[in-house]
Amino acid sequence: MDRKTVVIWAVAAALIIGVGVLMFTPAESGAQDVSAQRAAELVAEKVRVIDVRTSGEFEAGHIPGAENVPMNRLSQEAAGWDLAEPLLIYCATGARSADAVRILSGAGFETIYHLSAGIIAWQGDVSQGADTAGSPARELPDQVPGDTPVLYVFSTDW
Amino acid sequence: MKPVVDRLEQEYQGKVEFKIYNVETSEEGSALMRSYGAQYVPTFVFLNRNGSEAGRLVGEVAEEQLRSKLDSLK
Repeated sequence: MDRKTVVIWAVAAALIIGVGVLMFTPAESGAQDVSAQRAAELVAEKVRVIDVRTSGEFEAGHIPGAENVPMNRLSQEAAGWDLAEPLLIYCATGARSADAVRILSGAGFETIYHLSAGIIAWQGDVSQGADTAGSPARELPDQVPGDTPVLYVFSTDW
Repeated sequence: MKPVVDRLEQEYQGKVEFKIYNVETSEEGSALMRSYGAQYVPTFVFLNRNGSEAGRLVGEVAEEQLRSKLDSLK
């Protein structure tokens, strides 16, 4: 084998190895935790906002412009999204959205902003109502006067 | 929170009816949550015997706070 052939083989081998490394090295995750203040800036910049809470939670109040994609639909719906489009993800407290960020990072989304403290930390307007603590008393359909008092607990998986 | 709620449910059996909903899986719970305008989970809504709302607590609350509210129900 002459010297020229050796050089050609060496270059070819280097190219193959380089391409292989690029193909099999996981892309660095573009996920980053952001504060409520930074999230407000991102919303103002028209970054796509995804609320992964339930529809009931979403309807009660959400960040203006947010789309509701509950966790059980996230993988399916995100399959049709543009991987290069930045996303701002949030839930109530940051627990579910942390899972969402892992799913989206694994799917290859390049830029993910995570409101890690959840909508509880959100300082801006919400599109529908605010926390209604202290709201007027209401009577539930199945609450018959004279029965025992009732505690309603609204939760997700604890 | 679940162990705390389970313990209180046992302790207040016959005195306070606990209605616990996973709003991700229960349409009824989700609808009730909407009707109360609750935004966050967990939310605890306390109702007196006559159906009037005695108050609510939101988030990870201390057992003593829950107990205090339960004791105040009429």
